[in-house]
Amino acid sequence: MRGWGRGRCSVLNGLPEIIPTFNSFLLQFEGKYDYDLLVIGGGSGGLACSKEAAQLGRKVAVLDYVEPSPKGTRWGLGGTCVNVGCIPKKLMHQAALLGTAVKDATKYGWDIPSPVRHDWATMAQAIQNHVKSLNWGHRVQLQDKKVTYLNLKGSFVDNHTIQGVSKTGKKTVLTAENIVIATGGRPKYPPQVPGAELGISSDDIFWFKDSPGKTLVVGGSYVGLECAGFLTGIGLNTSLMVRSIPLRGFDQQMAQLVTDHMVSHGTRLLWKCVPRSVERETSGRLHVTWSDQQSGRVEGDTFDTVMWAVGRTAETKELSLERAGVPVNPKTGKIIVGAGEESSVPNIYAIGDVTEGRPELTPTAIRAGKLLARRLCGQVTELMDYDKVPTTVFTPLEYGCVGLSEEKAVSSFGQDNIEVYHAYYKPLEFSVTERGANQCYIKMLCLREGDQRILGLHFIGPNAGEVIQGFALAIKCEATYSQLVATVGIHPTCAEDVNKLNITKRSRLDPTVTGC
Amino acid sequence: MVFVEINVQSLDSFNRALEENKGKAIFVYFTGTKDAKGLSWCPDCVKAEPIVRAELSKLPEGSIFIYCQTGDKSCWKDPNNVFRKSFKLSSIPTLLKYGTPQKLVEEELLNSELVQMLFTED
Repeated sequence: MRGWGRGRCSVLNGLPEIIPTFNSFLLQFEGKYDYDLLVIGGGSGGLACSKEAAQLGRKVAVLDYVEPSPKGTRWGLGGTCVNVGCIPKKLMHQAALLGTAVKDATKYGWDIPSPVRHDWATMAQAIQNHVKSLNWGHRVQLQDKKVTYLNLKGSFVDNHTIQGVSKTGKKTVLTAENIVIATGGRPKYPPQVPGAELGISSDDIFWFKDSPGKTLVVGGSYVGLECAGFLTGIGLNTSLMVRSIPLRGFDQQMAQLVTDHMVSHGTRLLWKCVPRSVERETSGRLHVTWSDQQSGRVEGDTFDTVMWAVGRTAETKELSLERAGVPVNPKTGKIIVGAGEESSVPNIYAIGDVTEGRPELTPTAIRAGKLLARRLCGQVTELMDYDKVPTTVFTPLEYGCVGLSEEKAVSSFGQDNIEVYHAYYKPLEFSVTERGANQCYIKMLCLREGDQRILGLHFIGPNAGEVIQGFALAIKCEATYSQLVATVGIHPTCAEDVNKLNITKRSRLDPTVTGC
Repeated sequence: MVFVEINVQSLDSFNRALEENKGKAIFVYFTGTKDAKGLSWCPDCVKAEPIVRAELSKLPEGSIFIYCQTGDKSCWKDPNNVFRKSFKLSSIPTLLKYGTPQKLVEEELLNSELVQMLFTED
């Protein structure tokens, strides 16, 4: 029971701003709550946490409620990743990759009548069916693992009490010893753009039954790049507007290569442009005007769909966190948590995208949720390790990375103390199809001294996620450059070019890989 | 009875049942064929059936429950079994809501709460 007792002391220890309701106050002394653990939010983190705690014998409920998007899109259990994120995104990326493969196939001897046509409705139906099967699978798992699922929108009454409101407005009050907030985030709309409400967000695009047509994607986030990438890939006229830099927070040399490839792949990039207005034409199409900050001119064009990818906000506004005394970062709205995912209220925790300073990634939320459940049940003391978390951006040419960006390595260790190995390489498969490989590039950052411990690895090319995952283990185990080059590659692969890295930026030698 | 039960043993009669009940909520229970004495060769089906039947009262108003016997042991074990192929079945018993991804198989059907969930949720 170690760990679960913690919450009980909170009021007795006296957090003056918390005034519990009489009900909860009484329960505290009796030690009787409806649940041992209440999780608000049935996304990746919340589901993982609730199932783990239930399997360890706790009485657990998870509240999940999807507020429809401003366009009215709604979905089932599983959160962003399953419904409007990773899953449909990767499948639409795959649809786009297949288009390229079909074109390449003719070079490999396949007789394919052209032009090949992509049917959005077929793709969307298949992907949406898969997502629905995942929704059902999550329901079955919760039931199987004896987690009570409540389709209610939760908000705090006090630090042990949650009010759940159903679709029809019916209210239910629930109490719990511990509460985990895992409500995630939702896409933002730009506040200063008249007509912004005519646009959609990533909450809608994956649930479109018909093609979005000619599309403007606004935002240089990975969401913006990925969506613009797959829309281009399935043959739609696609523009991507970026105000400042693409992929903020990622290595900027890599980000530039990724966007260079997108341009060569057919996406129209509107650099340094800021949207001014969106208006509906009589035809029903959307006329967008924007300022080009470089030329100072105002430009415009007409689109069938405008998609905002200008960032995400944490879903904390409607939780009434002030009633429980849980502080958020006023700038981001995200919940401030410690190394154990604890908020400043001892029995309230938060995991996933809703937390301040954590990566917005499904696997980190899942792992953080599971570990939190185990710690709460006194099974372990292990904390989530957020260091060296690998990730991949599924742009048409994928970008995978783990560890530090070059900028971060330089600022942390100093230019003179790091060695940057890099190489342009050509995937073998590209040679037959005469596909350009100008952006296929690998960069590895190492400490300069001794065996040269690897600080970060960046890879642009096909299947970047599959390539990076294995190296992430090595780097997590503190692998060095010496160990990497002592590892034999698999021929012919793109990943072997990581093992073959030998040109340093410092040498100024040509990093273009030649020969076999 | 708020629901109608239809017994089928062939794909033809299955398709006829679907055709005649277009637009209605259709639930299908795939199970091993019973012999002349009413005994099933499939032990998992024998275990699941009473649990599924006990929840039938929860079926939505006006829905259809197709009780589909997929064949005797050798017929079901044949990888070309028509039901196996037509409905991508991997095992029996399988309970599903037709036209949706909602599906329960084998030991999931021993959990009456799961069966109830399949019958009652959108």
